This record gives sequence, structure tokens and C-alpha cells, in this order.
Amino acid sequence: MAIEIAVPKLGLTMEEAVLVAWKAAPGARVRKDDIVLVLETDKVTFEMPSPGEGLLHPLVPPGSRIAVGQVVGYLAADAAELARLAAEHPAAAAAAEPAAAGLPAAATEAPPAAPGPAPGRVKASPAARAIARAHGIELSGVSGSGPGGRIVRADVLAALERPRPSAAAPAAPAAPATLLTVLEDIPITGVRRAIFRNMQASLATQAQITLHTEASAEALLRLRQRRKEAGAPVSYNAVFVQAIARALRRHPRLNASVEGDRIRVWREIHVGVAMDFGGGLFVPKVRHADAKTLAEIEDELRRLTEAGRAGRLTLDEMSLGTFTLTNLGAWGVDRFTPIVNPPESAILGVGRIEEKAVAAGGEVRVEARVALSLTFDHRIIDGAAGAAFLQTVSRFVAEPALML
Amino acid sequence: MSDRLLTASAALAEALIEEMTRDERIFILGEDLTAHAGIFGQFKGIPEKFPGRILDTPISETCIAGCGVGAALTGMRPIVDFHFSDFVTCGMDELCNQAAKIRYMFGGQVKLPLVVWCPDGAGLRAAAQHSQSLEAWFVHTPGLKVVVPSEAADVKGLMKASIRDDNPVMFFQHKRLFRREGPVPDDPDFVIPLGKAAVKREGRDVSLFTYGSGYFLCQEAAAELAREGIEAEIVDLRTLKPLDFETVAASLRKTYRAVIVHEACLTGGFGAELAARIQAELFDFLDAPVLRVAAKDVPIPFSPPLEDFVLPRAADVVAAARSVCNR
Repeated sequence: MAIEIAVPKLGLTMEEAVLVAWKAAPGARVRKDDIVLVLETDKVTFEMPSPGEGLLHPLVPPGSRIAVGQVVGYLAADAAELARLAAEHPAAAAAAEPAAAGLPAAATEAPPAAPGPAPGRVKASPAARAIARAHGIELSGVSGSGPGGRIVRADVLAALERPRPSAAAPAAPAAPATLLTVLEDIPITGVRRAIFRNMQASLATQAQITLHTEASAEALLRLRQRRKEAGAPVSYNAVFVQAIARALRRHPRLNASVEGDRIRVWREIHVGVAMDFGGGLFVPKVRHADAKTLAEIEDELRRLTEAGRAGRLTLDEMSLGTFTLTNLGAWGVDRFTPIVNPPESAILGVGRIEEKAVAAGGEVRVEARVALSLTFDHRIIDGAAGAAFLQTVSRFVAEPALML
Repeated sequence: MSDRLLTASAALAEALIEEMTRDERIFILGEDLTAHAGIFGQFKGIPEKFPGRILDTPISETCIAGCGVGAALTGMRPIVDFHFSDFVTCGMDELCNQAAKIRYMFGGQVKLPLVVWCPDGAGLRAAAQHSQSLEAWFVHTPGLKVVVPSEAADVKGLMKASIRDDNPVMFFQHKRLFRREGPVPDDPDFVIPLGKAAVKREGRDVSLFTYGSGYFLCQEAAAELAREGIEAEIVDLRTLKPLDFETVAASLRKTYRAVIVHEACLTGGFGAELAARIQAELFDFLDAPVLRVAAKDVPIPFSPPLEDFVLPRAADVVAAARSVCNR
């Protein structure tokens, strides 16, 4: 039986994708879990592992738009089956144009539920399952050596042999099965995979340092109040984006990336704003933020937020930033050490606005304050340069009028 | 007590002589028995030793089976010889409608100590009507016991137990194995109880469940598998009904993999029944699908190359074992 290669649903809102490339030639043998093709959705680029082993028979040429669930190719068990498939289903080369025409047809053909190899179902022999159950082993973490990737008893026994964190506590009498049971099993795919890789790459490649300061938020509050009364309200983030963009113009070394053995300082200033709509972290960019007025930045942020809530943020809107703002003030966080969003080199974290007792000029007065935390790549940005940038941002926040 | 090498035929004759000496109600009924001590010489010595207790009948299996049932009902312990197990079709009503059900229908007031001796199996170029393995038909009939020995010692021990049983017993002995020698205990009290399987080769990687001629295929296959590093355990079921499922389970709990081997054709064979019970009762001990090795679903051909092609071979057992071991 030929194995179907079907387009997986990578996100809640995903309906279609672009098949960017096949990673194996027609007729080539593909092993299970080898990367067989690359999909690009509006959010992520996804390297799709092969659902099984066989000889590749692609149906759809690279560059095609394809629907979720659409069968885009087959894996034939042997040469005879490959020949039969080629006869029954015209290959990619022969079907160069069905990119547009393919969509409606696929919508009716494709089964509504998870097509092809259901990603949630782990293939395992009954004996393997029984042993895994008895030892509290999660089968999704075990690789199968049996036919079609089936997890067999030996695979689970091998997994049991591997050292486990709990092995260090021989006194604990309770079975691990009762101490650790899975509530939810979440595959690291799609957006989560992108975040996963990005965060790991961030700390793995950069030498990150965080500087903290605090700015008066009195002027900021007054600005917001005035704008509100004038019928043109602005968000805190719009002000922070503007402060960052203007400060970057004065301190361009923070608007940079490392490429190979060079530091690339960018001319454009695109400030990303971290947003969470419940489905994971998105960082849409305010383009040319340094050239935008506060009102323009506000409009742009509003548009991006609405697009994000509707799940319509495009890949273009989320790529190629030069600096990121992350604001946890709304969650009551005082201050924190954000992690740089690579390939950028710096990120500003903003805490909550809080009234504090401030001693100045021999007297104590109550003032609204906001914590600003700058994390940057110390490999390419020295401490003094980072501090100078943070001081500029801090001054702009304390006196937004300075930005005019 | 020591073991002697006896052919399966000699082991059968020894069992019959010992039992007939012990119990004078035992007698043998069938076609062409006295002139040549059975058409395979399987009753050697009995016509001389027990004149009048081994009887020639007309060529009517219906009659033979009916006489057996009647004699057993009235206090005798008959052994009926079906000549070729294939002819059992002519005695089906007597065996399946009468013998199998009488004890039940009479509320246990009667006994039916009948042994139906059925030489079966292929490989003798005897064609479609003289080569079948029909044990599954009788396993499917409640009220009958079904015994299929492989080695000479099993023939002797199981025949003695069958004769001593108060229920009708279908005893299938493979024709091609009559001359095969095997060690047989030199002990007049040697009896193998019905419903007891034997682990005849220990192994940890795969269980080969078999009986009758399949046992020898498994032996050959196990030797080949051992050369490849696969240790096969051979379980000779010996009695299909009652089935020693405990021994089956103990073996599978050790190996987690099962291949069932029999000479009877695949579809509806005993392997299907055993596979069904294994998956139902030992699901958590299965590391691979249960595979069956059996004859192809066709009448046994007369042509020697075709007959060999249809019958299961040791290589088939090896391939199935490799497959469940994922090699």
C-alpha cells in the first residue's frame, strides 16, 4: 500500500500553505521522519517529516498553493507500485499548472479529519504499550524500530535503560507512574516550534546581559490623558516604540545583527512588539518606526493587533525586525530580563507603572515610575553603549516631548 | 527406565498392545486390518496376539463409525480405524451428530469411550482425497476431543490416554511420519494426559505453536533461526481440544511473539482459533502480529512439484519468525 503524504494542519487558522520544495527527488527512497518537503504557511516554515518509508512520487510541483489535508504525494513500497502510482496519478512534472485548479478539487477530496498518519496516534505493539504503562514511560518520547516505525517492546526496554532524573532518588518508593502522569501531550510544531528554536538559538549564540533602570512615568500618564481627552488615544506601547526608534537613531549599534564574522548595522529601524493572542508568541513589526509619528505608530499597532487576534498576521509582517519591545506591565510584572529575538541584538522589557516614593532635592515625593530593562548581545554591544541607549530611552519615556 | 528408538508405527502398536492386555473390552474395527496388520502395518503383532479383537469390516465408514458408537455406548472401548482421515466424511453423522452429543443429550448417563484413529496428512503423492488434514472440523464440534501427535513418544502416550478417556477422541496421526523414529520411554505406565502441551525447545525470541507434522517443520526452522541469532521456542500442542492454553500463555509471556504452524490449509484452520485466543487473552504480551504458516487454500495436488508448492515448508516458518522478530 502506498503511503499518502498529506498536508498537516499546523495551526488553528491554517487553511492552506505553499509547498516550497521537495527534499527528495521523484523515485528516491525516503525513510520515515526524513524531511520530505518544506511547507510555508503564513506563520511558519515547516520541514515536514516523512510519514513512512518508500519511493517518493510527488504530485504537486514546488511553488504550489495547497490545502490542508490535500494529498501532495505518495510513498511507494517498491518500484512496481511506483510505476502503478505514476500511471494512476500524474506526477509533478506532468501537472505543472494545477496549482490554482488543485485547490477546489482537493477541498472535496481531502478528508476533514487529520489525514494520513494521524500525528496524535503513536504506533506501538500491545506489549510495548503494556510495559510503557507499567513503568510510566511516555511512548511519544520513544522512537520505534519496528515495521513502519512501530514501537516494539525492545524500544521501550531501551528507553527504560536510559538514565532518568528520578533514578537518583532510590528512597522514593512510589512508582513513577503515579508521580508523573501526562495531562496534556503537546507536539512541538508550528508556531511553538518556531518559538522553541528561536529562544534556544538566542541564548545558545549570544552573550546576553540585562541592564535595569527606572524612569518617571508622570509625563507618560499626562500624555495619555491629554490624547484621550483630545479623542486620539495612544497606547503605552506606541510611546515605547517611538522612544526606542528615536533612541536607536542616536545609537545605531543596537540596531544590528551578526552575520558570519561581520556586524551588520541596519539603516532601517523596524521595531517588533511581542504579542500573545493565546495561541503563542507573535512579534509583528512596526516598519520604519523612526520615521513615524506617534499617531502613525499607534495606528499601525492597532492594525497589527487586530490582524493578530483574527489570526491573519502574515509572515511578512513578522519577519525582518531590528529591535523588539516586550511589555509585561499589564500583567503586574515589576521588571524582568527579556531574551533577545535573534537575529536582532537587543530587546527592551517594560514593567508596570507604579507609584513610588522618590527622594529628590532633599524631599520625598510620590511619583509614578516604570521599570525599563535592556537585554543586548554583549559580543557586539559594549556595556557603556548599551547603558547610553537605555539612558536615552529612559529620558524619552520620562519626557516624551523630547521626541518631538 | 530408558528410552528406545521406535517408529511412530511401532509406538502406536505398543500402546495398543499394552492397553489391550490391560483391558479386554478394547478392540479394533476397520478395513483390511488382519491380513497385513493394517494397510500401513501399524497394527503389527496385534492380529496374532489378539485374535477376534481386531476385526475386518465391509468398505463402509458409516458402518464402521456406527459400530464404534454403538459398541462404546454398550460398554466396550472400541478403536475404529478410518484408513484415511479423508474418509471421515462418510462417518460424519455418527461422529458429529451422535458420538459428540450423546453424553450431553443423555444427561451424562452413558459413557462413550471411542477412539477414532485417522491417518492424515499429505506428502505421499496421494492426491486431493487422501492427503487432507481435517482436525479443525472436529475442534469445531463440541463433545469431541482432538489429538494430533508428532513424535513417536507422543503417539504412544497420547494413544494410551485416548483409550482410557470416556469421551470420543479423534486421533490424527500423520501418514508420512509412521516410519519416523523417536525415543520412547520403556515404561508401561507412560501416559501423556490429554490437554497437555509440551515445550520441546526453549527459546526467548519467538514461540512456534504447532502440532503433528508442523512440529518437524518448526524443528528445522528453529535450527536455521538459531544460526541467525533468533532463539525460537517450540510448543507442541499435542492436544487441540482440550487445549493447553496455559502453556501457550507461559511461552508467549516469555517471547512476546507467536507463529502458528500447521499442515492444514490456512483459512478456518486451527491457527485462526489459536490466534484469536492469543490476541484476546494475551494482548498485552504481543510485540508483533500473530502469524500463521499453513498449506495454501487449495485441494492437495497430485503433481509432486505442485504438492510441495502447496504445503508449508520450514523456510516459510523461518520467514514468518524473522518477520515477527523484525529481522
